[in-house]
Amino acid sequence: MHPELAVSGTATQDASRVQVREEAFVSVIVPVVDRKDDLLTVYREFEAELRSRSLEYEFIFVFDGGFTSPPEDLVELSHATRELRIIQFERTFGESAALRAGVEHSRGNLIATVPAYFQVRPEGIHALLDELLESTVDLIVTRRAPRADGWWNRLQSRAFHCVVNKLSGFTFRDMGCGLRLMRREIAESLPVYGDLHRFIPAIAVREGYRVKEVDVPQHPLDARRRVYRPGVYVRRLLDIIAFFFLAKFTDKPLRFFGLVGLFLSATGALIGCIVLIQRLAGQGIANRPMLLLSVLLFTLGAQVLGLGLIGEIIVHLRSQQRSAYKVRDTT
Amino acid sequence: MSNRTDLHLSVVVPLYDEVNNVSPLTDWILESLADYEGQFEVLLVDDGSSDGTWEAIRRAAAVEGVRGIRLGRNVGQTAAMMAGFDQSRGRVVVSLDGDLQNDPRDISALVEKLEEGHDLVCGWRRRRQDRALLRRLPSWCANHIIRWLTGVPIRDNGCSLKAYRRDLLDRLALYADQHRFIPALAASYGARIVELPVRHHPRRSGRSKYGLSRTGKVLIDLATLKMVTAFRLRPLAAFGAAAFVLFVIALLFLSGWFVAVIAFTQAKAESLVFPGASLLLAGAGFYLLMLGLLGEVALRSNLGRAGDAPFVKEL
Repeated sequence: MHPELAVSGTATQDASRVQVREEAFVSVIVPVVDRKDDLLTVYREFEAELRSRSLEYEFIFVFDGGFTSPPEDLVELSHATRELRIIQFERTFGESAALRAGVEHSRGNLIATVPAYFQVRPEGIHALLDELLESTVDLIVTRRAPRADGWWNRLQSRAFHCVVNKLSGFTFRDMGCGLRLMRREIAESLPVYGDLHRFIPAIAVREGYRVKEVDVPQHPLDARRRVYRPGVYVRRLLDIIAFFFLAKFTDKPLRFFGLVGLFLSATGALIGCIVLIQRLAGQGIANRPMLLLSVLLFTLGAQVLGLGLIGEIIVHLRSQQRSAYKVRDTT
Repeated sequence: MSNRTDLHLSVVVPLYDEVNNVSPLTDWILESLADYEGQFEVLLVDDGSSDGTWEAIRRAAAVEGVRGIRLGRNVGQTAAMMAGFDQSRGRVVVSLDGDLQNDPRDISALVEKLEEGHDLVCGWRRRRQDRALLRRLPSWCANHIIRWLTGVPIRDNGCSLKAYRRDLLDRLALYADQHRFIPALAASYGARIVELPVRHHPRRSGRSKYGLSRTGKVLIDLATLKMVTAFRLRPLAAFGAAAFVLFVIALLFLSGWFVAVIAFTQAKAESLVFPGASLLLAGAGFYLLMLGLLGEVALRSNLGRAGDAPFVKEL
């Protein structure tokens, strides 16, 4: 690889423009986690697109344990091809872990994620590559457009994004699209685990990275109606709550627990005052459940406050290791 | 950073949507430091502005000794200040606001005071030029509460114009709007703190980013402040004290019930409200004790970093 120097001419130089631009080396990570089509076709189609460009590339298929084992034809091909590697988890770890493992085993300076099923048309990847190589964007996510889905798929997607965007203030329209392209640095540093892979673009923005959404054509086979078990919808809702909570209160847990705790305690104290006034007015209180309610609310509030304070201690103890900012440019 | 000690002074200025103030402020700082003896740098931090502040900073950074950094997104004053502290190289760091309300001519006085043997010199806006009702009154209340809560005798916690020694900054890890509590946090590490009256000017351009809406947050943050300054290294003590209070109230309810039983007040003795309340309180007290133990676990598993080390003075 011959590093090629691209220097802008201005006197005060923008760090992002004065960069040593190496040859692009794209590591394509395919997490095979809960949905898959013919993987050999997925590989062949995307490989053909990448081969048409003058860049280095490699494919890493990550198989989650307990879902499916790598198909024979793919394994055989991986022995014969240097650009294809396969990783297998021993047990189920999920998509976030699969993406992480893929990044760890990759060598490219650009990381692409590709769905293990026919979701978008493979030629869509050119739009991403062009965009990332030309601009200073850190992460490019995609939106399936034009979209061939029926009303049901659109409705659930619309509802999901509406809630997330409302809570977070972002405007992503298709976070479920698995085709993404990013610089290695961001792939290594994004705090993505558990079910948070669904929120990758939103998390990247929060971390201070530049994110862009581009349109790619949807694969016709992706448009079949998706109806999940009710449990899946509940889990999705919990994901959203977790994401929102973490985004807002990771640094200051007491602002959440404190508010809830204070509200409970204050209500308890208020009821207690009323009971006390009635006692002074001569009514007996020993047989009144109101008193129990007051004590219950007060103690509950104290417990919630206590939880928040423990949270604050933990955050404070970790504060030396974390930084809440990311430097984008220097002069 | 290896070349940190080459520089004597870093002036750190966080800026958020202050496009019209960048150039006058930089000129003013450079002018005030014209006869400064040591080497210095001015570090302008763009906190994700959207009004062209970064372009203004890049123009200002054409001058020798002025640097700029731009953050990925708007992260708030505390994190922007931390970014500036982390990136600065001076042995002494002075922070000031980007709105021209602090006077850079006070910088050398602050540094001199620091050299007298302090770790932190806080500016004190003796004649504050802000609106009385919306800015000065809440601030007056907050300062009194902080002083009462922490016992650190600082009259103006909110003034951004401060001078820090590097080894204090190495210990301070601020997050989540803690810039208001710098003196209290610094004191909890054993820093020597002093206050110095500074000039203050009315805002000329741009608008203030603060209003009354933050009051509730500040009140809750004060509870955090007390917790981390007083009980950072002994969480069980705080939770134990709270649990003790609950146990005492539980005991009062229980004795009230006993009195009823002994006095053979049939109806009252049969009622379960008092013993019930007593049990609830005792249960909550027990729960708080458990939380305190959890706090000790959290503490133990994070112990042993440089940041915990208190300041020592060699005699």
